[in-house]
Amino acid sequence: MATERRAQVIWRGDLMSGSGRIENVTSGAIGGLDVSWPARSEDPGGKTSPEELIAAAHATCFAMALSHGLAQGGHVPERLDTSATVSFQPGEGIAKIALTVEGRIPGLDVGAFEEAAKQAKENCPVSKALASVPEITLDAKLA
Amino acid sequence: MPFSLTSRIGDPGGKTNPEELLAAAHAGCYAMSLAGELTRAGQETARVIVTATVTLDEVEGGSHRIVASNLYARARVQDMETAELERIARVADQGCPFSALIKASGTVTVTAELEGGANGD
Repeated sequence: MATERRAQVIWRGDLMSGSGRIENVTSGAIGGLDVSWPARSEDPGGKTSPEELIAAAHATCFAMALSHGLAQGGHVPERLDTSATVSFQPGEGIAKIALTVEGRIPGLDVGAFEEAAKQAKENCPVSKALASVPEITLDAKLA
Repeated sequence: MPFSLTSRIGDPGGKTNPEELLAAAHAGCYAMSLAGELTRAGQETARVIVTATVTLDEVEGGSHRIVASNLYARARVQDMETAELERIARVADQGCPFSALIKASGTVTVTAELEGGANGD
């Protein structure tokens, strides 16, 4: 079954001096988030940006795929600390995404964990959607 | 901010999910690109409302893929024909780096309308 998720943004004025706001999303979990070009391309100054939201999307997608893969192999994780760092090059787009995970999984060796993390990185839907990003790296270790 | 698989493929129940975050990212990225193109066309005081809808679907083999992101833009501008806005909206899509990423594995559609009809009021 297909699922749809929607987000609405209102932007006022030009790109350089104007500003926008993420007004609402399907779930209602986030909203009222300001965005601007200077906050995106220079110092964020407390504002989010498309790249930060992509980082959050990628980290959550990767965490879900990895927990699912580990559970299927009989190793339900106690905890997965994941992060995604998106590098944005104004004028070009996303140059790199760095994924990291530190996992607490009883009875699993590091080689098996690294392999599961690699599979999750390659196959989670957000990774597939972002497959044309020039470089996606992974650093996986056990806690 | 909590998230879960249920909130991802079923009723969100107040929780966010990766696709919703991508929709927010795409709407933000495209709104900035459109604002830039409208300024280039002499519309510095435009207001745009952008909605991005991201679709996650099950594909052959049982895995899930992000298959589409559909953009809808409503613009309040001065003295502009619908056809010109549509042209600018397409250029903005071409200039939005996030649109380019999604197009590598899914589809992106763009629909643009003048707020309040063809007179922009």
